[in-house]
Amino acid sequence: MARMKFLCDSERCVECNACVTACKNEHEVPWGINRRRVVTLNDGQKGERSISMACMHCEDAPCMAVCPVDCFYKTDDGVVLHSKDLCIGCGYCFYACPFGAPQYPQVGNFGSRGKMDKCTFCAGGPEADNTKEEYAKYGSNRLAEGKLPLCAEMCSTKALLAGDGDVIADIYKERVARRGYGSGAWGWATAYKTGSSA
Amino acid sequence: MTRRTEDKGLARRDFLKAAGIGVAAAAAAGAAAVGPAAASENRDQRKRARYRETDHVKKFYASNRL
Amino acid sequence: MLIKKSSGTPTRGRLSGLLAGSTLATMDRRGFLKASGLAAGGLAAFGALKPAMVRQAEAAPSTSPNIVKRRNICTHCSVGCTVTAEVENEVWVGQEPTWESPINLGTHCAKGAAIRELTHGDRRLKYPMKLVAGKWTRISWDQAINEIGDKLLEIRGKSGPESVYWLGSAKFSNEGGYLFRKFAAFWGTNNIDHQARICHSTTVAGVANTWGYGAMTNSYNDIHNSRAIMIMGGNPAEAHPVSMQHVLRGKEQNKAPLIVVDPRFTRTAAHATEYVRIRPGTDIPFMWGLLWHIFENGWEDKEYIRQRVYGMDEIRAEVKKWNPQEVERVVGVPGEQMKRVAELMAKNRPSTLIWCMGVTQHSMGTANVRALSVFQLALGNIGVEGGGANIFRGHCNVQGCTDLGLDVTTLPAYYGLTEGAWRHWSRVWDVDYAWMQSRFESKKMMETKGIPSTRWFDAVLVDKKDLEQNDNVKAMFFWGHGGNTVPRMPEMRTGMEKVELMVVVDPHPTTAAALPDRKDGTYLLPACTQLETRGSRTASNRSLQWGDQIVKPVFESKADHWILYKLAKKLGFEKEMFKNIKIDEGDEPNVEDILREINRGTISIGYSGQSPERLKEHMKHQADFDIVSLRATKGPLKGEFYGLPWPCWGTPEMKHPGTHVLYNTHLPVKDGGGAFRARFGVERNGVSLLADGSYPMDSEIKDGHPEFTYGLLKKMGWDKELTDAERATIERIGGNNPDGVGWAIDLSCGIIRVTMAHGVQAMGNAKARAVAFGLPDPVPVHREPIYTPRRDLVEKYPAMADRRDYRLPHLGKSIQDKDFSKDFPMILTTGRLVEYEGGGEETRSNKWLAELQQSMFVEINPADASRLGIKDGQDVWVHGPENKAKARVKALVTQRVGQGVVFMPFHFSGFWQGVDQRAKYPPGADPIVLGESANGVTSYGYDPVTHMHENKATLCRVEAA
Repeated sequence: MARMKFLCDSERCVECNACVTACKNEHEVPWGINRRRVVTLNDGQKGERSISMACMHCEDAPCMAVCPVDCFYKTDDGVVLHSKDLCIGCGYCFYACPFGAPQYPQVGNFGSRGKMDKCTFCAGGPEADNTKEEYAKYGSNRLAEGKLPLCAEMCSTKALLAGDGDVIADIYKERVARRGYGSGAWGWATAYKTGSSA
Repeated sequence: MTRRTEDKGLARRDFLKAAGIGVAAAAAAGAAAVGPAAASENRDQRKRARYRETDHVKKFYASNRL
Repeated sequence: MLIKKSSGTPTRGRLSGLLAGSTLATMDRRGFLKASGLAAGGLAAFGALKPAMVRQAEAAPSTSPNIVKRRNICTHCSVGCTVTAEVENEVWVGQEPTWESPINLGTHCAKGAAIRELTHGDRRLKYPMKLVAGKWTRISWDQAINEIGDKLLEIRGKSGPESVYWLGSAKFSNEGGYLFRKFAAFWGTNNIDHQARICHSTTVAGVANTWGYGAMTNSYNDIHNSRAIMIMGGNPAEAHPVSMQHVLRGKEQNKAPLIVVDPRFTRTAAHATEYVRIRPGTDIPFMWGLLWHIFENGWEDKEYIRQRVYGMDEIRAEVKKWNPQEVERVVGVPGEQMKRVAELMAKNRPSTLIWCMGVTQHSMGTANVRALSVFQLALGNIGVEGGGANIFRGHCNVQGCTDLGLDVTTLPAYYGLTEGAWRHWSRVWDVDYAWMQSRFESKKMMETKGIPSTRWFDAVLVDKKDLEQNDNVKAMFFWGHGGNTVPRMPEMRTGMEKVELMVVVDPHPTTAAALPDRKDGTYLLPACTQLETRGSRTASNRSLQWGDQIVKPVFESKADHWILYKLAKKLGFEKEMFKNIKIDEGDEPNVEDILREINRGTISIGYSGQSPERLKEHMKHQADFDIVSLRATKGPLKGEFYGLPWPCWGTPEMKHPGTHVLYNTHLPVKDGGGAFRARFGVERNGVSLLADGSYPMDSEIKDGHPEFTYGLLKKMGWDKELTDAERATIERIGGNNPDGVGWAIDLSCGIIRVTMAHGVQAMGNAKARAVAFGLPDPVPVHREPIYTPRRDLVEKYPAMADRRDYRLPHLGKSIQDKDFSKDFPMILTTGRLVEYEGGGEETRSNKWLAELQQSMFVEINPADASRLGIKDGQDVWVHGPENKAKARVKALVTQRVGQGVVFMPFHFSGFWQGVDQRAKYPPGADPIVLGESANGVTSYGYDPVTHMHENKATLCRVEAA
């Protein structure tokens, strides 16, 4: 069965942030919540590289392991989702996550956290697919529509890949072979335990 | 930047909102404010694979191979 | 506050460990600025929207059965990305990738992926407004048109038509832009301009004077064919991100060296195989320095030069002066690197040269462009797939609006302002030439270039005796044009305060509304975006794309053509102006009819074959086009190039496929081939200007030839092939001298049709001019910027002497003679950020973009910062050398800029010399993010050919605030 993964080809990423605004656009993510962001290394210097980061939907997801109310679940596609009805906003998952994916709206003036929000791989949540309820809490469910995450679909330079892990690993390998260089699949060793090159 | 500054920002925003400067907030107060989860899926339904290799998905893969 | 990457603070250690090989902190521009804790008032107010993962009440998943898909083109840059919108109940609810578009293949940048927000319009100007005793007051469209019209007529009576300035927009559709140009003509002035003046006017002047047309010669897609790519003074990773898809494919597939030449180590440079840091304002010495190695080693294309280039020997003489030592002294690049770059470009052909505003925005911009053009000619790279002068234009329709004459020097399609040009367009418009002339002050003014937009305020402020028109400018229209786009803003602000009438027509109030202290006489008219109407736009590669209306204009906004019609009616010339354009229901001029009129008149550049019907077919069959050749390989359009890139010769019925690569002799003319235009005569001082043994494939004339007239057609014996109708049209146009009718004014397009049947290009077949006689500096020579820190070079490389042009005095040497470098020791240069566009009001009003870049800043090198005691993130004052100019911004300490150079982005406004101007915007229409304008401190300096401003090399002083 296909296993969903993200892969950012940093040789292609130009830090344009289309992935970030595409995500905002698709799910109407409010100001201050960032399901996806672009991180730049060696900014302004030789060797500058950028990668687009979000929840990687890990193999052994640390967030799932630490959640005190067990609000996470993993789909047969390998997508890590959670229930906002169960989430208590404790923040454990944020500290556990190696990618800094979980986000929290603030409610009230004393810094109390709201329900956690994160990238869903455009696969919604525990409400019925593509209902108003699901959209309101988790955003759209493109996977159920037969599509892939919009961030990857709209990536300006086709740097961000999403979809069947085997297929996108293949695409990446072809690219590396053709151009003769590649910096490896960022985060794959941590997320998918597959070694740092695809 | 720390969470503390974040708190500060929010406090100021809330203050401004109270002062009537803010734009009308169309969004609800939080996820909890959304009505009861009437259309919830059961455990098996939730986990069911959604991914299909549709035409749309194939076009995405193909355009990445160019 | 506002988390982004910085919210990851606790995990940063883990994160950077994960990103193998990097031991550096993962701070970047955005994280840095966000961490510096800004939050302007508006930002804070905006934040009142509770950040919760719950959306607006009307939002819903876009899977409803009522959803319809509509296609338009992104309005943010010249790449021309197709936007697919999902619309439900006339609300744009979702955006999907357009895999079929051969230009963007489904992708977008941050702006394109956020474009849906524009039609939701939280911060749009919602209805017409005017200032009444300093307060914004809502008025009706009728009242607005009436009051503005009355005032215009009053000014016309008092001061004449030249006292109204029509500043238009590169964001018009072709139809809106053309109508705007026509409107200015019918009003009776050539004081009409648009953003091309400030982005690529020097490119257009430079390349048109070299080989014929002022446009990108190849395309984004064609870069797939390049064996080497050089980007000079351009940062497409931020300015044209989707173009990088093609650039990086060329780099990867061909193992092409990617050379980036820029004073800044840009995000584009981060992907270069070779980065060259030059001092701002030394483009010509750099190019001549490369050519020095090329000539020295005999790497030039000698046969190409013999056949197709005029005057290369004079270039050689100039290039000889630029030996490696002198280049290193002036430019700062060592000889070894110069030689390496020259060799990479010479030995990996076809090699392409891409340039943007780093080359053009200089007081010697046209000469810069010409040097770059000559370089490509020396390597035989023009008229070749994979080669070319790939000039990335800026706005989404700056190419189209340039082509359609929103320019102080010409009528549509570069016919100029001569009597012949006016007679041609009078015929197209079906109005009497004498009537046309009666609209102007005089025949002389009708044929006199107007005042460039970079200097409109000089026409307000200058003493009348120094101004070559009846009176100063009294009324100013900002129609789709920001108020922070040109230097010397302190003086511009005074100009804004002095005009009697100021009208802003725009989806947003713009800087023009908020900057000046005016109490009355300012009107804001809400124009809709191109997403809310239909029409065509021309991408940088000359392809025309048709956009469908996605949603109806939001709030009370209206399309440009509607507003122009209303105004024409009020001013009393709508019957003449819309004689052959149907007025649809709701007083809306028919867009297709406007394009048909464009088709009839723009014969000279081949905008004549792109009928609305053909363009709509191209949008429908996007999937049939090859992404490298841009040619349809199947389907009903097989053989045509995508978007019928101009020239698309003759009438739509002639079915010319468009021209993917200009001047390409490897194809027949009827199949998109061509040759350099014969624009400058047939010989000079006994030397032929026509091509020598080079000609388009299948041409029956196997040599150079002049452009065709009816007379030449007769001489060839080809006139018999004209139809009776074609002959009658030519004879009607010619009157007493039908033989003199040239191909470009032959409204029948018969001359084009017949010559093309013989494989011949009607516009002739000439050599390109390495020496552009008639221009200042026919052979480009280095001149130090007007404001330069290199006093040691001023004597040897002086600015041009003071002169007059464009109705105004034009200073050069007299400014350069003063030494400002003691008080203003740093070089200031400007540029783009990916999230924002142009003056930035639209993009800074878009919540999804504004969140990404919340502060104006100045980049400064760590060595300079430490010397000046400036810390990363602190506020600094940047002082300019004129008018006590200053701006308070944040310091971003980075090696991105070299020592002695600082950089500011030019998208900000709404702060003025440290003071927040938010309260001066109409309530609810203030952009989310405000900041100081870079042009608040930039200075004098204009190109002698186009009066392009010098925005890329001036001086400043930076001090801790």
